[in-house]
Amino acid sequence: MVRRPLFLIIALVLVLLADGSAQKTVRASADVQNSVAADESLAIVVNQENTVENLAMKDLRSIFMGERSHWPNGRRITLVMMEPGQVERKAILRDIYRMNEADFSRHFLQGLFTGEVFVSPKTLASPVGVRKFIFNVPGAIGYVRASDVDSTIKVVRIDGRLPDDKDYQLRLQPHNGTK
Amino acid sequence: MHPGPAGAHSIVDRFLYEISRYSSTLLLLMVFTVETGVVIFVIRDLRAADSEVQTMYVRSVIGLRGIGGLQYDAQETRRATLYALTTNDSNLQVEYADQSRDADRRVTNGINEYLARARTDSEIEVGKRLQSDWVAYLKVRDEVLASILEGSIKEAVDYDLQGGVPSFDRVRQDLEEIKRQYDEQASRQLADVDESSRRSAGRLVGVLCFTLLFASVSIWAIQRARMLSALKLAKLQMDFVASVSHELRTPLAVISASAQNIADGVVQEKDQLTRYGNVIRNHTRQLTELVNQILLFASTREGRTHYVMRPMSIEQLVESVMHNTREVVREAGFTVDLLIEPDLPPILGDISALSQCLQNLVGNAIKYGGKSGRISLRAFLHKSDVPLSDEIRIAVEDHGIGIDTSDLPHIFDPFYRSPAVAAAQIHGTGLGLPLAKNIAEAMGGKITVVTKLGVGSVFTLHLPALKKGTLQTETVRPDLLTRQ
Repeated sequence: MVRRPLFLIIALVLVLLADGSAQKTVRASADVQNSVAADESLAIVVNQENTVENLAMKDLRSIFMGERSHWPNGRRITLVMMEPGQVERKAILRDIYRMNEADFSRHFLQGLFTGEVFVSPKTLASPVGVRKFIFNVPGAIGYVRASDVDSTIKVVRIDGRLPDDKDYQLRLQPHNGTK
Repeated sequence: MHPGPAGAHSIVDRFLYEISRYSSTLLLLMVFTVETGVVIFVIRDLRAADSEVQTMYVRSVIGLRGIGGLQYDAQETRRATLYALTTNDSNLQVEYADQSRDADRRVTNGINEYLARARTDSEIEVGKRLQSDWVAYLKVRDEVLASILEGSIKEAVDYDLQGGVPSFDRVRQDLEEIKRQYDEQASRQLADVDESSRRSAGRLVGVLCFTLLFASVSIWAIQRARMLSALKLAKLQMDFVASVSHELRTPLAVISASAQNIADGVVQEKDQLTRYGNVIRNHTRQLTELVNQILLFASTREGRTHYVMRPMSIEQLVESVMHNTREVVREAGFTVDLLIEPDLPPILGDISALSQCLQNLVGNAIKYGGKSGRISLRAFLHKSDVPLSDEIRIAVEDHGIGIDTSDLPHIFDPFYRSPAVAAAQIHGTGLGLPLAKNIAEAMGGKITVVTKLGVGSVFTLHLPALKKGTLQTETVRPDLLTRQ
C-alpha cells in the first residue's frame, strides 16, 4: 500500500523535469532566432518619387515625432508604423523615439491635441503592407527590415549610412546587445 | 478523201478526224480537268468565305468581348479606388489600392493589345486617344489613392470630382466609340460576306454552265468524229472493194479471153500457145498473190497467224526475198542493188513472214519507183549504247514519186490509198504496208520511212540482232511476242 503513493510522486517529479527540459529547448530555439535577427538592420524607406536621399538622425527623429509636416518638395509627410508588439516597432521606439508604447501613444495624443504634432502615424500589420502603403503615397516614410526592402520603395541614408554599412545605427537589437 | 463540205467546216472536220482516235481519252481528260478546276474553284471560294467569317469573328466578336473586358476592368479600377474611401483601416486601404492597380494593369495591357491589332486609321486614332485618356485618369487615380491613404478624405473626393470623374468619362466614351467601330465593322464584313457568297454562287453557276456547254460540244465533237470515222472507213472499204474488184477483174478477163481463144482454136501455133500460157500463168500468179495478201492481212489482224521463230542469217532472208521477187523485178525491168554488210549477226524471226514483209516493200518500191528502174536493198548493223539493243536494219530505197507529207500519217492504215496514187492509176489494195508493219511488229521490230516528194522513199525494217552463233527454235503467237 505504501509503495503506490511513492510511485506516483516519482512519476510526477519525472514529468516536471521532462517539461522543464522541453521549455528550455523551446527557449533556446527562440534565442537562436533572435540572435540571427539581432544582426539585421532596419531600413528607413520612402516613396520612389521622394527626392530625399539622406537624413540626419535628428531630422529623422523630428519626422518620426511628427514635428514636421512636409517634405522639401512640398509633399505632406505620412508616417507609417507597424503594429504594437512587432520587433521592428520596438527597435524604432527604442532607437528613434526613445520611448515605450505608452509614452508614444501619449506623445501623439497630446501633440495632436495641442497642435505641436502635425502627423498622425498610420499603422500597418506587415512589412508587405508598409511597402505597398509607401509605394502608393508619395510623402510616406516608414521602416522595414533591410531584407524586406524591394524595388518599389527607396532606402534613405541615415547620417550618410545605408543599412549594410558598418556603423549604421538602426538595428533590431541595440549595438551593444548580442554583439 | 475527207468527207464533208470544204472551207472552215472541213478544217474543223479534219481536226475532229485527227483527234477522233483519242476522243474518249481526250474527253475524259478535259472533263476531268474542267471538273478539277470547278472543284478547286468551289473549295477556294468556300475557304475564302470561311476565312472572311473567321476574320469577322476574330475582329468583331473577340474584339467586342475584349472591349467588354476593358470596360469592366476600368470600372474595377475606379470601384476599388473608391472602396478605399469607405474605411480608415490602412491595411484594407492598401488592399483596395492593390486591387485598383491590378485592374489598371489589365486595362493598360488590353489597350496595348487593341493598338497592336488596330489596322485602320480610325482604330489607331481612337486607340491612342484611349491610351492617353487612360494615362490621364491613372494620374488622378494615383493622387486620389495617395490622399485616401494619407487620410485626407476631403482632398481625395475633391481630386476625384475635379479630375477623376471627367477623365474616367473620357475613357468610357473612348471605349464606347471602339465598341461602335466594332459594330460597324461587323455590319460591313457581314455585308461583304453576303456579297462574296452571292458572287461565288454566280461564278459557280457560270462555271457549271460552261462545263455543260463544254460537255455538249465535246459530245457533239465525239459523235461527229465517230461519224466521220465511220464514213471514212466505209469509203475506204468501198475503195478497197472497187480496187480489189478491178485487180481481180483485169487478170480474170485476160485469163478468160486467153482460155477462150485457145478453146475456140483461134490459137494453134506453138509460139502463140506458149505466149498465151505465159499470160495465163502470170495473171494467175497475180491473182494468187492478191488473194494471199488479203487472207494474210486478215489473219494478222485477228492474231491467228502462228510464226515459227528461228534464228536466221540476213543472207538467208535477203536471198529468199530476191528469189520471190525476181519475176516481178524482171518484168518491171528494174535492177536491184544489193548492199549487205559482211559478218552481220543473225536475227530471230519467221523467215517466210519476214520475206513477205520485205517483198511488200520491194513490190512498193517497184510500183512507185517511177522510171528510174533501180531500187536498192541495204542490210547493215546499227549498234546501240544500250546493251542487247543492237539492230539489223534492212532498207529498201527507190527513186520514185515519194510520199506527200499529208499522206505519211496514213500510209500504214489498212485500205488507205493516197489520192495522188489513185489518180495516177497505180493499182493496189492498200494492204501491203499495213501487212508489212504487222509482220515487223510481230517479229519485235518496226518499219520506218524517210521520203521526199519527187525524189524517192526509203522504207527501213528494224529487227533486233541476236548474238552471233545463237541457235534456237520456237513457235509463238504474235500477240505474245515482246521486243527483246
